[in-house]
Amino acid sequence: MPLSDDPEDRDPGLAEERTRLAWVRTAISFAAVGIAVLKVDVPLGVTVVAMVPFIWLAGRRVAWHAPHGENQPRLLLLIALGIAAIGVVVLVLTLTRGNSPGFHPPHG
Amino acid sequence: MTGTTGPDQGGPRGSPGPRPGGAGAAAVAGGVARQGGTEPDARFTFANERTFLAWSRTGLALIVAGLGIVQLLPPFPGVPWGRHLIGVPLIVLGAIVAVAGYVEWVRNQRALRSGKPVPRSFLPVILTVTIAAIAVISAVVLLLSAAR
Repeated sequence: MPLSDDPEDRDPGLAEERTRLAWVRTAISFAAVGIAVLKVDVPLGVTVVAMVPFIWLAGRRVAWHAPHGENQPRLLLLIALGIAAIGVVVLVLTLTRGNSPGFHPPHG
Repeated sequence: MTGTTGPDQGGPRGSPGPRPGGAGAAAVAGGVARQGGTEPDARFTFANERTFLAWSRTGLALIVAGLGIVQLLPPFPGVPWGRHLIGVPLIVLGAIVAVAGYVEWVRNQRALRSGKPVPRSFLPVILTVTIAAIAVISAVVLLLSAAR
């Protein structure tokens, strides 16, 4: 194999690392969203935060070369459906809560 | 890593046209994205997975933005339904984007496996049109609120 100018050819692990980092970003997003949702609805917030370890573990699978991605489409489907479910619950919350007075920061 | 660096070298081995029922059932059992073709370059699989994750985060961000607008923003004076008008489309769009991201991931993985060109994504159009519509709604709500 001729030495390529593309660093990806010399070190295909870079793609793997990017993917691992993308999983970490996704886990952090879930954590941030969960904590924000805690402010509005505690059960939903706890549920979203509880999903964080699973997302993080899914990213670790990439590093462990365990089945992931193409070999584990159900995991990705679960994540997509989980986000859609969060959306549906949030939609029901916003439509049934009536008029929220809004968040008023304490005067100091 | 061998010399084969592209899915195009795998050759289109996926059978075009309608798939027999037996093969379809086997494909469901073996994973929705592993129908026919050959294993693509791992880098393409990784890239497709990252794209799915990016759409997931986009969906999550849209949902939480809608929630924040409806629940945390003070009401628009004179337009009591203003926050819902802006927030609800964002939440719906977030849920749609998450599911559509998965559908696109399956389509892309199938295309990679069979060495066909990656299908055109419909998500950017959905995202652009909806966000533009929400911008117009926001402007109308703000103007109505200012007119009171």
